[in-house]
Amino acid sequence: MDKNFQEEPFTRTIKFTPPLYKQRYQFIKDLVGKYKPKKVADLGCADCTLLWMLKFCSCIEVLAGLDICASVMKEKMHRLSPLPGDYLQPSERSLTVTLHHGSVAHKDPCMLGFDLVTCIELIEHLEQSELKKFPEVVFGFMAPSMVVISTPNSEFNPLLPGVTCRHPDHKFEWNRAQFQSWALETARRYDYSVEFTGVGHPPTGMENVGFCTQIGVFVRKYPQTSESAQSEKPTETVYKTVFKAVYPSLKNEKYLQNAVVSEVILTAQIIKRSLSDHLMSEHEDYNDTTERKSKFQPSMNCFSEDLGKLVVEKSMEPFVNGNVVYIPLKTIFSFPKVNRLCGTFEKLCKFIAGKVTLSSDRSAVVLNTEHE
Amino acid sequence: MTGRARARARGRPPGQETAIPPVGAASVQQTLSSQPPGRRQPQQPRVPPSVSEEPGGRGRQRGPQSVPKTIGLQISAGFQELSLADRGGRRRDFHDLGVNTRQAIEHVQESKTGSSGIMIKLTTNYFRLTSRPQWALFQYHVGYSPEMEARRLRSALLFQHEELIGKTRAFDGSILFLPKKLGNKVTEVFSRTRNGEDVKITITLTNELPPTSPTCLQFYNIIFRRLLKMLNLQQIGRNYYNPSDPISIPNHRLMVWPGFTSSILQYEESIMLCTDVSHKVLRSETVLDFMYSLYYQVEEQRFRDACAKELIGLIVLTKYNNRTYRVDDIDWDANPQCTFRKADGSEISYVDYYKRQYNQEITDLNQPVLISQCRRKRGSMMPGPVVLIPELCFLTGLTEKMRNDFNMMKDLAIHTRLPPEQRQREIGRLIDYIQKDDNVQKELRDWGLSFDSNLLSFTGRVVQGEKILQSGNAFDYNPQFADWSRETRGAPLICAKPLDNWLLIYTRRNYDIANTLLQNLFKVTPSMGIRMNKATMIEVDDRTEAYLRVLQQSITPDTNIAVCILSSSRKDKYDAIKKYLCTDCPIPSQCVIARTLSKPQTAMAIATKIALQMNCKMGGELWSVEIPLKQVMVVGIDCYHDTLSGKQSIAGFVASLNQTMTRWFSRCAVQGRGQELVDGLKACLQTALRDWFKWNKYLPSRIIVYRDGVGDGQLNTLVNYEVPQFLDCLKSVGKDYNPRLTVIVVKKRVNTRFFAQCSGALKNPPPGTVVDVEVTRPEWYDFFIVSQAVRNGCVAPTHYNVIYDTSKLKPDHVQRLTYKLCHMYYNWSGVIRVPAPCQYAHKLAFLVGQSIHREPNLLLSDRLYYL
Repeated sequence: MDKNFQEEPFTRTIKFTPPLYKQRYQFIKDLVGKYKPKKVADLGCADCTLLWMLKFCSCIEVLAGLDICASVMKEKMHRLSPLPGDYLQPSERSLTVTLHHGSVAHKDPCMLGFDLVTCIELIEHLEQSELKKFPEVVFGFMAPSMVVISTPNSEFNPLLPGVTCRHPDHKFEWNRAQFQSWALETARRYDYSVEFTGVGHPPTGMENVGFCTQIGVFVRKYPQTSESAQSEKPTETVYKTVFKAVYPSLKNEKYLQNAVVSEVILTAQIIKRSLSDHLMSEHEDYNDTTERKSKFQPSMNCFSEDLGKLVVEKSMEPFVNGNVVYIPLKTIFSFPKVNRLCGTFEKLCKFIAGKVTLSSDRSAVVLNTEHE
Repeated sequence: MTGRARARARGRPPGQETAIPPVGAASVQQTLSSQPPGRRQPQQPRVPPSVSEEPGGRGRQRGPQSVPKTIGLQISAGFQELSLADRGGRRRDFHDLGVNTRQAIEHVQESKTGSSGIMIKLTTNYFRLTSRPQWALFQYHVGYSPEMEARRLRSALLFQHEELIGKTRAFDGSILFLPKKLGNKVTEVFSRTRNGEDVKITITLTNELPPTSPTCLQFYNIIFRRLLKMLNLQQIGRNYYNPSDPISIPNHRLMVWPGFTSSILQYEESIMLCTDVSHKVLRSETVLDFMYSLYYQVEEQRFRDACAKELIGLIVLTKYNNRTYRVDDIDWDANPQCTFRKADGSEISYVDYYKRQYNQEITDLNQPVLISQCRRKRGSMMPGPVVLIPELCFLTGLTEKMRNDFNMMKDLAIHTRLPPEQRQREIGRLIDYIQKDDNVQKELRDWGLSFDSNLLSFTGRVVQGEKILQSGNAFDYNPQFADWSRETRGAPLICAKPLDNWLLIYTRRNYDIANTLLQNLFKVTPSMGIRMNKATMIEVDDRTEAYLRVLQQSITPDTNIAVCILSSSRKDKYDAIKKYLCTDCPIPSQCVIARTLSKPQTAMAIATKIALQMNCKMGGELWSVEIPLKQVMVVGIDCYHDTLSGKQSIAGFVASLNQTMTRWFSRCAVQGRGQELVDGLKACLQTALRDWFKWNKYLPSRIIVYRDGVGDGQLNTLVNYEVPQFLDCLKSVGKDYNPRLTVIVVKKRVNTRFFAQCSGALKNPPPGTVVDVEVTRPEWYDFFIVSQAVRNGCVAPTHYNVIYDTSKLKPDHVQRLTYKLCHMYYNWSGVIRVPAPCQYAHKLAFLVGQSIHREPNLLLSDRLYYL
């Protein structure tokens, strides 16, 4: 038996756990996890909850939302802004989140080139005229690789007490046959394949009514439209941008440089510390220290092994001269994290120029030991 | 002053400020915890719920949101997020609005301004908020028939009548604010829902709010915060920061975000925006990184203690949402693989939860977890423990250790200590942003509001400098530097206590240093008039017990003072010595770190300072200023809140004993959590009066209390609770005793800054600058004094608020007396930021709170033993 709803015998109300809206969002999240789209648009994004959930998916680089009501989007749009933590540790991927104010009955070039377009509980809110234009806009114009459309299944309504229509703004609620025939016809016309599923299982014995929410997953059959074909499409913008957030990313030179400089200094400080520890603890029982390390810090352990391995070359060895420690850039560059950030040694030199104190021949980082 | 003393005397920078519960908060908390906790077990640790589960809770750090969102004010054009509920309910009123103390003070009804001094042209970080002539905010009640439940639906139905109400509006579901008046007092309109139901909407005018009404002020602040958000500034705590242009200080793994504090209030003449530059120090280091690096620095067995010491009390910022938490505990028995029960009843491990909810990988599965006690309800979160994963938390602010790191503070100061010119430029930048952003301008225009583009300018006064009186000599000092250490060098002290019988304790390694100190003291003391015998020199092992044993064995009833030279700044030794000599064996003591004495070029200057400090600790007097007021007892009170263990608070209480204010009675009140501070203060005041009587053979006819350590929003408690208790206490002294009482709240942490205009440039105003116009509050008897001088950055004025006054003293006299008292702090031969009794009270409370943890022996109470 299905565990995702509870049936309370007395009232015969059906309560989904987790709530149905969350199940719908989770469905999309799982789909994103499976197909790893880079550009995702949510049509009818309302208070941006789905977009907010999707911004944590690391495959996504472009997120867009569209809604006919600007105020409902604005209500919580700021949660799509980068967080302090995003600035403190910029991530590898780039991410841009944009919210547009407009109608799914209108074409705007900003919606081109998407991998996934979601329309969660959208179509039932469309007026007849809008619904007519909708397939042409989404499947004909936007033409993403994948489209997900969800809508209430009216066959389930009798199980929801007192419900004939689930929301006053719904213009219609389709049964499975209606939805599927519309979907199949749309898929056929725009050369997509479609599969039907849903969320919100019916209670035992009522399986024949189908899912509470019916979902159609459309996949484009023909390959990606070429650039030239897209350029023929109208370029006139009709949507109004109400929000745009560009997340800090290491793809951006500024953030990358900051990250490199921090990492270089941190690495140099760690080397300096292990150098002075080494000098101080030469008489100490070595076994004791290694055992100590293994308990709490596996990562530090590999770190010191790395250091041992890496410093085999004589020229790469850090050395102390009076109050000053010289740590060759080559040594620092050989650390995996620095290496991964910069890629090449030349880039490393370029990034840290003027930001880190270097020896006169610019081959080593200079640190002062005086203040410790 | 030793390095330690200086570090301790320094205030905490505002960024580190932890929320101090208001004095009266105990009862509130009790009611909270006595509420049925619902189906959740009260001790069940939880992870913070995701944002989607708690609307409106984002970015709020301290403000509890007890009021349901629907009561809040929903403001048009995306203003919905911040609602009036944010300011109402149990949320703390940071600006102490509605506390009107001036009306009860008769002699300042007409004027509260002083008169002495020479005029000075000042500008300040305030901008006038102007509204159209005859501007008013119109408040309407909106009713629905049939009743509509959903707020969104109510809004949608109402907004169908845009032609009537217009685009500029604020609506929370029942209260509507408009910048215009509708034609009729009651307007009825009809809307139709999507499923064809007709609804009658009745819009009734309930209020016409003038620009100065409290509701309007809240409204302005909401709008302004919204404007800051439109400018893409990010809210952290109460302030807004610009994340796009951070200053990175990689040497210390710090990142500084420039930002602004802002508040709009009714000031003396007009409604103004006070805005100041604020810097948020963030650290690109997670708590786990920090633990690793600490692990490298300390011994294994001390590691957990060291973590607790460094981390508990710190504010951390979570990676996955914009929330800050205070670390209250570290659970070493738990790890990220432990599970917790979600709201829906299912069990999930932290690793899985963070992976699923935020796509955050926890790589170290053996790390302990942090516990944060959520004391008040925030959003949908109930009070109780919250579990945090060190790897997912960034450190914020500075630790005590960092603050004592001279190099770090120097590197930081380059970016945060802005000289006047630059500060003014940065402040101007905010107004620039506002003037240049079209959306912001449109919003302001629609509401009929605008800001002046220039900083407010006005005239202040610089009162005359004080003469420093020392044994028949009167010294003038350069008011620019507010320091007379050079002028008074070598002059005899007012009262010099002899060093006939004293101990000098040192470790073997510091033998030479001890000897040099002794020789230098022999050189500097004669001119001060201090008679000195050779100390009893005692060598000890460098262990705490060794020091204590020597003290036990060598102190006799004749011992004047014990001087200990410590080889390091390790706190435990210092604490043990102070504890023993302040409680069990009450004699004055002086601890000096050997390193302080080791530099030959400063040795004489240090010896001079130590001699002065020792003299004060033994009951000597250094200098005075002219105090014309007679029979007055001045009291200073400051609090120390133990942030580490969070257990007790200590109030330092210092009262003058003589006419020249050179001798002080000092006592402190130690109180556990939830206890009222004022009970202890009453006892302090009683003993102070008794001692005063012993010294003077009569009781003071005036008592002036300088009360420091009052947090934002606590003024009301002070006025309604503490002052009546003081009066009660005075009544209990005797039937005929009826002294005049003045209570002045001293506030160092204010956002107000003054710039002096001299020959086209902006400079810090000189010490002695008094401001009692324009930027003061009409409902208060308050003023600002700039008493100290700073070498770099902007000087911060101190705010004085006379909340109770039966003295009938002219404002000018109160201001002058206050400034005079800033000259009387014996640990610094210069003018300080607050009246000396406040600084003494601070020192006392700090020593007791940090080292002694219980009330010192009262035998010491007639000397400044804690300096």
